[in-house]
Amino acid sequence: MTEENKHCYIKEGKLALPYQYFAGRVGSKFLVSLRDKKKILGVKCEKCGKVFIPPRKTCERCFEDISEKWVELSNEGEVTNFTVVRTDDKHHPRKAPYVLAMIKLGGADTPIAHILGGVDPDSVKTGMKVKAVFADKAVNTMLQIDRFEPVN
Amino acid sequence: MAKYFDVSVEDIFNTMEARFRVEGAKGVNAVLAYDISGDGGGKWLVEVRDDSVKVAKTDDLSGFSVKTSADAETFVGVNIGKIDGTQAFMSGKIKIEGDMALVAASAKMFTRYSLPKKSAVTVQGIFDTLVARFQPQNAAGLDISVGYDITGEDGGQWTAVIKDGKCALETGLRDNCAVVNIVKAKDYIDLILGKLDPMVAMGAGRLKLKGDMNVAMQLPKIFAKFEPPKEEEEQELIVIKRNISVDMKYSTGPVMGKFFEGLIEKKILANKCPKCGRMQVPPREVCAECRCWAGDMIEVGPSGTITLIEIIYYSSPDPLTGETRETPYAQVHILLDGIGTEETFWHLLKNEDLADTKKGDRVRPVWSDKRVGSVHDIIHFERIRD
Amino acid sequence: MKKHKKNRNVAIIGIGQTHHSSHREDVNQPEMIHEAVERALKDAGIGIEDVDALVHGNMELFEMVHQPDLWHVIGTGGYGKACYRVTTGGTTGATIVGVGDNIVASGLHDIVMIIGFEKQQEGHTTGGITNMADPLWARNLQTGALTGATAEKTINEFGADRAKRAAMRLRVTLDKHASLNPHAHRNFGLDYDQIDDLMVNSPQLVGELRLIHMCSQSDGAVAIILACEEKAKKISKKPVWIRDHVTVHREETFNMFGINENQEVTHHNAARKLFGRNGITNPREYFDVFEMYDPSSWWGLDWLREFLQLEGDEHLKMVENDEVSINGSFPLNPSGGVISTNPIGATAALRVAEAALQVRGDAGAHQIPREVKHALASGFGGTFWTVLFMLEKDLDWQEAE
Repeated sequence: MTEENKHCYIKEGKLALPYQYFAGRVGSKFLVSLRDKKKILGVKCEKCGKVFIPPRKTCERCFEDISEKWVELSNEGEVTNFTVVRTDDKHHPRKAPYVLAMIKLGGADTPIAHILGGVDPDSVKTGMKVKAVFADKAVNTMLQIDRFEPVN
Repeated sequence: MAKYFDVSVEDIFNTMEARFRVEGAKGVNAVLAYDISGDGGGKWLVEVRDDSVKVAKTDDLSGFSVKTSADAETFVGVNIGKIDGTQAFMSGKIKIEGDMALVAASAKMFTRYSLPKKSAVTVQGIFDTLVARFQPQNAAGLDISVGYDITGEDGGQWTAVIKDGKCALETGLRDNCAVVNIVKAKDYIDLILGKLDPMVAMGAGRLKLKGDMNVAMQLPKIFAKFEPPKEEEEQELIVIKRNISVDMKYSTGPVMGKFFEGLIEKKILANKCPKCGRMQVPPREVCAECRCWAGDMIEVGPSGTITLIEIIYYSSPDPLTGETRETPYAQVHILLDGIGTEETFWHLLKNEDLADTKKGDRVRPVWSDKRVGSVHDIIHFERIRD
Repeated sequence: MKKHKKNRNVAIIGIGQTHHSSHREDVNQPEMIHEAVERALKDAGIGIEDVDALVHGNMELFEMVHQPDLWHVIGTGGYGKACYRVTTGGTTGATIVGVGDNIVASGLHDIVMIIGFEKQQEGHTTGGITNMADPLWARNLQTGALTGATAEKTINEFGADRAKRAAMRLRVTLDKHASLNPHAHRNFGLDYDQIDDLMVNSPQLVGELRLIHMCSQSDGAVAIILACEEKAKKISKKPVWIRDHVTVHREETFNMFGINENQEVTHHNAARKLFGRNGITNPREYFDVFEMYDPSSWWGLDWLREFLQLEGDEHLKMVENDEVSINGSFPLNPSGGVISTNPIGATAALRVAEAALQVRGDAGAHQIPREVKHALASGFGGTFWTVLFMLEKDLDWQEAE
């Protein structure tokens, strides 16, 4: 201990805050459809033609209201990119190692990030065909899709 | 009984036991008193004991944990969601005495009073669509009048005049009806919606047909089935609730570190600005005015004089612990002896001193037995009464 | 007095705000913001492509989301644009207008949109405020933004009855103003005959600070579009000129309560600087309207004195004589003020927006009934710091210099 830090201490503390988040009408329709119908919905901007998932009220490029332009997407898609999470952290949704993948669903123009399960992490490849596996109980978040798994 | 928004005050209290939610009342032991003024008002006591509830009309509201007073209209309006409760409370239309936290908790103890659902289908509504439901292809060559004598509440009399492949509806009964249907309004709605079998209704005498039975038998063909208006479903709006909790580590640095060392030894240390002489407590590295290093530590207090007393009547839960301090309690700002006139020291006042302590009174710290170098090394300040 | 001259003039050319409410379950954060953004663009008569840069702000920790400026892009229209996120506590809304003012005045960007928002229903306001305090000491004692200190000070100075009556009269006056503002979150329909009742029966929060005195927690957003003189004159029929603004900060401290009552507070300091360098000798006469950040009626009452550099009981008299009502000689918060509407990150920006609407004559039912040429708008935050704006109808003050 040097003279300078002789009087320095570390005090344990906590930052704990409750909060809630409202999905809004557009987000709620998406989540309720996942939960009750096991259908994945996107929205299409008719100006630029892009199909967005998760849906949003406004096209970020064209600044058009697209909240009513629903399209049903396929529950299957392909891996466009992925990474293997190899460290554990209490905030992570799964125990390591697990695969986080960018998945482009049939009919969508934007990929979504999700968990890829039911597969050896070392055998995942870009272009791999995957399908959504829905959660059994109400989750009311993106994890209403529990994970994706390879087709066959 | 006076009704507000179609509901009486009695309706609210009479359904309260049925609306009780055991899971929302766990650990609650409280007596909720209600003093409802105006037409249809009265006094009620609602006794919640963990997993049971007792609702009683009474003249004696003594011994309550919390008392809510309101006029009957406001009370009913808030209970059925027609009047905003917070708004009514803040503008003084609802008054609350006692443990205010119980009022918020009672929202969890009881499900909301819901209005008895009225059928969306009315007799008038059925006749409003009659002409549109007319099927001319099944009425070729017909020249008849069909009478409807719908009795009871919301009933009425109508005549459908069918001629030349057209149908017109008149109110009232024509004398020359080929057949007249006589039925109570409620039964008629059930018949139309298919909830009541016509043969059963006739057998039981609830549906009477006066006139030509053959015409009566043709009626289901002449008019298409009534489709009840679809009730617009309210969209489910998703909300997620979370609690972010992150463990933190805070560095005291040498100045605050010395201050904490002092507290462990029951000493309050301030630092002094070498330039202006200003003293700061708790100490900060630099003088807030001169912005120069102020490292000299000088013991002050520990007794001092109250400069401001803040009595807290409303306490929200501490997000760091989830606990809510019991109210009222007081915070005091104290000018510690020897500190000069620049800075007060902020801490709590002993609850027993709350009633008679004021600005200018002398106080001293009550030290904790377990001192670790924290704000809690001083439990609170107490009034010096000698 | 030191000269404070802008590189070029800046005007407000577009204003948009949401309806403010205690709950907005129907929209998420970017969707709520988008409502204000769309209205501001429409008000200015321009498209998002005409906006060069965005300044985005709200309270830290209030919704417990980080980097909201990034995931709000869908609502703000910030895609590919210069975006700045600024947060300074309660003053945030005023600070973002100040940053926008500086960016345009400097010549860096011609058209800048500022966006302030808060969705307080989503977070824990007292928790968020508590976390601003020193974790080793003050955080353990803090109770959010509630304090009865100003009430006690005013009562000590003017006597309990007069002080309480004046604070409640101001409360009722602002409630009447709020009832004229369709965007306002709360108006109770209060009347002056309720003063005696509310003085005694409104529940106490801290000391003589009662529930009815305290501002609301609201969900809402505001967007304001600022432009340089050249563009403003082209685009807008009624540009409102930001003549000057001043920011006065100080150390976050709880150690000043109860002593040094003669020490100059930041509101007084800010007003003294702003009026001094603009040659305003009698602000009460000069300004036609004041949109003040009034978190409670006790503060609103006390701060009239600080901002207007008044002596003695002049500020009480202004309230007692109804000078501060919408029809009075010095209308205060014709919008209803913070006491009626408080989506915190937007609140101080709303003061500037509402003052600008008054200058334009576009405030609708809460437009004050005479011409507004000069307006004052303030922001407040922390234990004490200040942002103060002065707005002008005509671009004529430089000739006088």
